[in-house]
Amino acid sequence: MKKLKRLGKIITILVMIAMVSAVFVGCKSQTLSTTPSQEQQSQPAPKNVSIVFAVGGAPSEIDYWHKVIDEFEAKNPNITVNLLKQPMDSGTRMQTLVTPLSGHESTPDVFLMDVAWVGQFAASGWLAPLNGYVSQDNYDTSVFFKKVIDLADSYKGDLIALPVYIDAGLLYYRTDLLKKYDFSAPPKTWEDLVKIAEKVQAGERKNNPKFWGFVWQGKQYEGLVCDFLEFIASNGGNILNKDGQPVLNSANNIQALTFMADLIHKYKISPPSTYTEMTEEPVRMTFQKGNAMFERNWPYAWGLHNSDDSQVKGKTGIAPLPHFLEHQSAATLGGWHIGINTYSKNKEAAWKFVKFVESYDVQKGFAMNLGWNPGRQDVYKDSEVLKKAPYLEKLREVFVNAIPRPSVPYYTKMSEAIQKYVNAAIAGRMDPKTALDKAQQEVEQIIKQYGS
Amino acid sequence: MSFKGRRVKNKPKNSEQGLAYLLLSPVLILVGGLILVPVLGTFITSFFRNVTFMPPAKFIGIRNYARIIKDPQFWQSLRFTVAFSAVAVALESILGMFYALVINEKFKFRGIMRAIVLIPWAIPTIVSARIWQLMYNYSYGLLNYVLVHFHLCTHPINWLGSPVSAFFSIVTADVWKTAPFMAILFLAGLQAIPQSLYEAARVDGASISQQFWRITLPLLKPIIVIALIFRTIDSLRIFDLIYVLTGGGPGGSTSSVSMYGFKSYILGDFGYGSTVSVITFLLIFVFTVIYLKVGNFSGGLKENER
Repeated sequence: MKKLKRLGKIITILVMIAMVSAVFVGCKSQTLSTTPSQEQQSQPAPKNVSIVFAVGGAPSEIDYWHKVIDEFEAKNPNITVNLLKQPMDSGTRMQTLVTPLSGHESTPDVFLMDVAWVGQFAASGWLAPLNGYVSQDNYDTSVFFKKVIDLADSYKGDLIALPVYIDAGLLYYRTDLLKKYDFSAPPKTWEDLVKIAEKVQAGERKNNPKFWGFVWQGKQYEGLVCDFLEFIASNGGNILNKDGQPVLNSANNIQALTFMADLIHKYKISPPSTYTEMTEEPVRMTFQKGNAMFERNWPYAWGLHNSDDSQVKGKTGIAPLPHFLEHQSAATLGGWHIGINTYSKNKEAAWKFVKFVESYDVQKGFAMNLGWNPGRQDVYKDSEVLKKAPYLEKLREVFVNAIPRPSVPYYTKMSEAIQKYVNAAIAGRMDPKTALDKAQQEVEQIIKQYGS
Repeated sequence: MSFKGRRVKNKPKNSEQGLAYLLLSPVLILVGGLILVPVLGTFITSFFRNVTFMPPAKFIGIRNYARIIKDPQFWQSLRFTVAFSAVAVALESILGMFYALVINEKFKFRGIMRAIVLIPWAIPTIVSARIWQLMYNYSYGLLNYVLVHFHLCTHPINWLGSPVSAFFSIVTADVWKTAPFMAILFLAGLQAIPQSLYEAARVDGASISQQFWRITLPLLKPIIVIALIFRTIDSLRIFDLIYVLTGGGPGGSTSSVSMYGFKSYILGDFGYGSTVSVITFLLIFVFTVIYLKVGNFSGGLKENER
């Protein structure tokens, strides 16, 4: 029976290994904070450099990026750009960047960032300052939205990123159904929206039991914070006040959150799956299948709603999001920014690529082909662009006034707390006041922990 | 063995030992470098404030641990993780045992049956999580389609919508996937039990259930303990399933300890993330020790030896 004894030993060792591997998750080496060196800057791009460009998104967007890269390579035959394909989901896109950057990897050399993470990336010292290149090339940054450059792309006086495209929350609506139920215009206030949605939903349900009045992003994830910010800001509220102090449990915010929960539980114009499944894509698909009257989404949905396989092609309108009585419409500033990895060995080539992506023609191409809203303001005046997307002129106003999420390095943590409590409130598990009181408390704690 | 004999043997043994260590050294270095160093690194990092955007890293003693104990979200995650592990592992064991007993019997198509039982285990969790997500989908999901189409329910059910139903939805997906793993282990154990024992029992007039409780279960005990340890360790680290299905929602009620630690890493707080990892390790350690004690593992082996 010695065999059994040995078996026992082997098993014990196996168990130990399995246990120890549990700790593996934590085996990130300590990140030493070396200040990024800028010595490689002045070298001219050597022959045959290859850079890695990390980007994610819908398949059509990735395809388009391939075209952009081909054009760039044709113009810069000595630079090869390898596209590192990231997923669609914004959170996952962030993780695939945080891992190499916190390990001081030299690739990806250049990447797109959601506006929400730029603060954390910049404060961690991962983004190469662009000031040197800007002055070296006499690069004109005034073509970009000034507010975006100031609020999102600057860190401690350095320019650390440039906007590739700008996003802001919009209201999509069905023009055909609006007419069918005798409404003349899309809603200006949330009260109007409820009124229209209730009537249309009641009518459409007769033939289509899956029809909903209003679909929006409510799952526990970053998108919920964007929607939440729009609801509260359109009621005069905010997350932080001007001094950076949290003001989450203000009366205005509680009222707005109550309304969000009411959309699902009281008016029943938003599906119960709002707080479990609804991220951008499920929301878009619900609307695109003809199963919703109103949709809150980013501008990217426009192009897809009007594609050939869409059931709402030519029946979709866009408008600024509604607001509460006596307040202003508000849209969360979203959008993606391009930055250069501070540990990259080919920053010069990466900068060339950045310049190319930000060039008038490429930016115009984004607007024409993907329906993106360019980071460059001058493209909004292009007659061809306006012909293809006449709404852009109107949207420009929305973008200029869009409200950014708090730009703090610990934003993800703050967002996580807000997501959790707002989600609990719209799931009907917590009353809105308690939820926001708790969120306020937790955010105060977070600021105490990381705000020093 | 005499004193003299031992001494004589000692000399060549020394050089042999040296050679043995030399030959072992690559493995030792590999194990040390790949396991010991990172593990110690995690322990050490857990005593630092190491946040990417708050350089430099600073020694702060046990303050990360003090913080974690005070964080209600951590306790929520811990409660969920332990409850999940308890329910899921129990169901997986019972179902796995059932599978194993069935596919251990001789019947037509047994080979095919064995292969079919194993399929869920062969599918990557992230893929099966997506499949379950589609099935749980409120508007287009298979489950709601069946319920509403066959008039079992008037309204579709929001499977992931309440903490309790989300909990059981996750448990179901996990049981579906890992019961086959238990079945493989149990099957291996079953096949090691000599048929003669059952023949003898039958001669003595033991019923099927008596055979199961008196022969199968006691002889399977070591395997059961191992299977439980593996599954418990695994389920205490549950992550991917939750990440896909609920993202920790609704309202943070299905956030697991791994998810909690993961969020710290995403924030760039490696000190706190390491603390969560160390606590996960301790948690798993405690459970393993309990299993080994309760399972009377070493004792069981000794008995067998006699």
